[in-house]
Amino acid sequence: MSLSTQQGDEDGQYVLIAKLDNARNMSNILKAIHFKEMATVFATANGIKVTVEDSKCIQANSFLQAGIFQEFILREESATFKIDITVLLECLNIFGSSTLPGATTALKMCYGGYGSPLILWLEEGGVLTDCTIKTLEPDEVLDFNFSSTNVINKIIMKSECLKEAFSELDMTSEVLEILMSPDKPYLRLSTFGNAGSTHADYPKDSDMVESFQCTQTQTNRYKLSLLKPSVKALTLSNKISIRTDCRGFLSLQYMIRNDDGQICFVEYYCSPDEELDENDDR
Amino acid sequence: MKCIIPGNNVRVFGKAIHCLSKIGEDLYIEPLENGLALRTVNTSRSAYACFMFAPTFFYHYDDGKCQNDTQQQEKENEDDGKFKCKITMKSCLSVFKSLPTIEKTVEKCKIKLNFTDARLVFTLLCKHGITKTYNLTFQETESLQAVFAKDLCPNKIVAQSKLLCDAVGNFQTSQEEVTLIVSPEKVCLKNYVDDEPDPNKVMHTEMSLLPEEFDDYTIGLDTEVTFCLKELRAILTFADACYQHVSIFFETIGKPIVFALDGESVFEASFVLATLAEPGSTQNTTQVQPAPTARRTVSKTESQKKTTVASKKTPAHESRSCDGWNDRHNGFNNTSNQPDRPSAFSERNSPRQNLKMAGDAGPSRMPDIVARIPDGREDDDCSNASSESFTFQGKIGIQTSGNKPECFNVQIGEGDTSTVDIHIPSGDEDEFDFIPSTPPTKKFKSMFFGSSQSQTNSSQNETMVKPTTVLAEDTDEDDSD
Repeated sequence: MSLSTQQGDEDGQYVLIAKLDNARNMSNILKAIHFKEMATVFATANGIKVTVEDSKCIQANSFLQAGIFQEFILREESATFKIDITVLLECLNIFGSSTLPGATTALKMCYGGYGSPLILWLEEGGVLTDCTIKTLEPDEVLDFNFSSTNVINKIIMKSECLKEAFSELDMTSEVLEILMSPDKPYLRLSTFGNAGSTHADYPKDSDMVESFQCTQTQTNRYKLSLLKPSVKALTLSNKISIRTDCRGFLSLQYMIRNDDGQICFVEYYCSPDEELDENDDR
Repeated sequence: MKCIIPGNNVRVFGKAIHCLSKIGEDLYIEPLENGLALRTVNTSRSAYACFMFAPTFFYHYDDGKCQNDTQQQEKENEDDGKFKCKITMKSCLSVFKSLPTIEKTVEKCKIKLNFTDARLVFTLLCKHGITKTYNLTFQETESLQAVFAKDLCPNKIVAQSKLLCDAVGNFQTSQEEVTLIVSPEKVCLKNYVDDEPDPNKVMHTEMSLLPEEFDDYTIGLDTEVTFCLKELRAILTFADACYQHVSIFFETIGKPIVFALDGESVFEASFVLATLAEPGSTQNTTQVQPAPTARRTVSKTESQKKTTVASKKTPAHESRSCDGWNDRHNGFNNTSNQPDRPSAFSERNSPRQNLKMAGDAGPSRMPDIVARIPDGREDDDCSNASSESFTFQGKIGIQTSGNKPECFNVQIGEGDTSTVDIHIPSGDEDEFDFIPSTPPTKKFKSMFFGSSQSQTNSSQNETMVKPTTVLAEDTDEDDSD
């Protein structure tokens, strides 16, 4: 009893408290977006969103809903900070990454508000570790302004068939060209590398495709180096949704099922490669 | 050209590509009437591999001979009716990158030539309706052909690939060369220690096998041959994956060793590796030359320019150009473990004593000659120059002075009046050999031939010297073999 009131007193100073029985539920999701060192964390009543960006062209977000936490308390409307995600991941995996059943790491994460560090308590098998990670001033994150109303083409498919296609992409190609169309070849991923061009076609009637809603034929090119990190999210996920809007912006949403059967989402937004000789604005 | 490979054979095809990729950097593709030939040769031209896939390997096989497309026909008429190309191994590997995935998902593989775009198109039709298309760039090239006569080798061993894999697994992965020592009683595999100042400081590995372990063990000539282990590993990886027997044909030091795989008549593979021309440490020899540079670059020219006579592997030739061999080979084709060993062989300690002349052979057809020619990049040390070799048909006339041939006058081609004069320096040399693949110095021998036709195509890596060029006289007087 005294322990719980003591806890209560300490916890009173924190703006955000989140408890997870299995830290891996969080670390796996964060690994899916770990292609840069720094990440911006947003905490709202709905949960935690972690954002990583690169070159102002690609943005990855991972969503940890409040529902997946055993306890989620937010004393303010929202809390935002920037943090070194590499360090955060290393702390979350401090007990090693063994996948023995039953050997889960419990996590308690606390944040005291603007300027205070992020504190992690991790416990496994009776051993307790506490980590304090400095937080930084949050940067403005890009708003890709990707709204569902502007979506022209949308395909939802199972991730397995795309996994090896993405991991075997010809890295000598600068771009990945995505063609989505209501006619053949429906969905085509193309690369243009040193050896020649490669095309992977996915028909709409394939049993791998769950939903196919394409209204217009669109071909867009995206920098392959920017999209390559999305393979991590793809390998973890069960399903992927590919959407393009009228500007050619790409939205990839991955549905990831964690160890406890809960569903989390990771999304990638990417801006298209513009042709240099285009005179008119898009 | 167009062929379609069924699902279960795509795995074998992919494995063949992986095996070839470990040997050479370019894949030579040639659709022939009797099947699709995939060949490669390593950069130092000391290893050659050829996979021949019979038409039964494919669902559909069209070597492009009868085409309705006029454009294609014109093209083919230019090329003497056959399409030959080479693609880089890297680009081919990008198609067959992940073998487990291919095994699981690919239902069919189509290979087609797209003339209009100049691309070789590989299409993988996978499960769930997924199609993967690879449009690969290629280079037109001449046929890559090795000249070797495995049926004439006195030594033949047939073994399960598993046995050889296990044997080879005993050697360190960093081991470059291995020596195979055979006698009727046993076979021994040893690691080859190269130019080590203190051989006792280096680990020596040796393993022996009894003839009973092999499916066929025919030894006509006790010998030891040293060849590259890396290539053998690649061969055995393929053989093991496809549960093949491996047939090994070899003769002696300096002669190539041939590994042959026979895939239930739907495909066959031949691998020809050069063997070290210098006997290993167990043999006492006075023929060792201090090699100034590393041996591995096979195409280094020998100190003397020689022409060697080789035969194309056709029945008509085999009997002719190796006259001296035939009678010695009688009784060699038995499968017993006790090989016959005519005493004639015991004298043949050195491979250099045979002199085979093309002119002696039945002149009904111009014999083939393999010549080794420097490509002009002569350094001060003559043995640093690399050489190219090619095969052409011609007659050889010999001018001798005393007992030794002094100059060869080679007439190229029938009716062609161009000749090549090849001067042999009359040094203290007591042997001249015209036996294929026997260099005098401690070097691996190149046995390749870049072109079986006149070289009009310079798409080859090495520049070919025109046949009318007179070969430079050797300047290295130190060599005393």
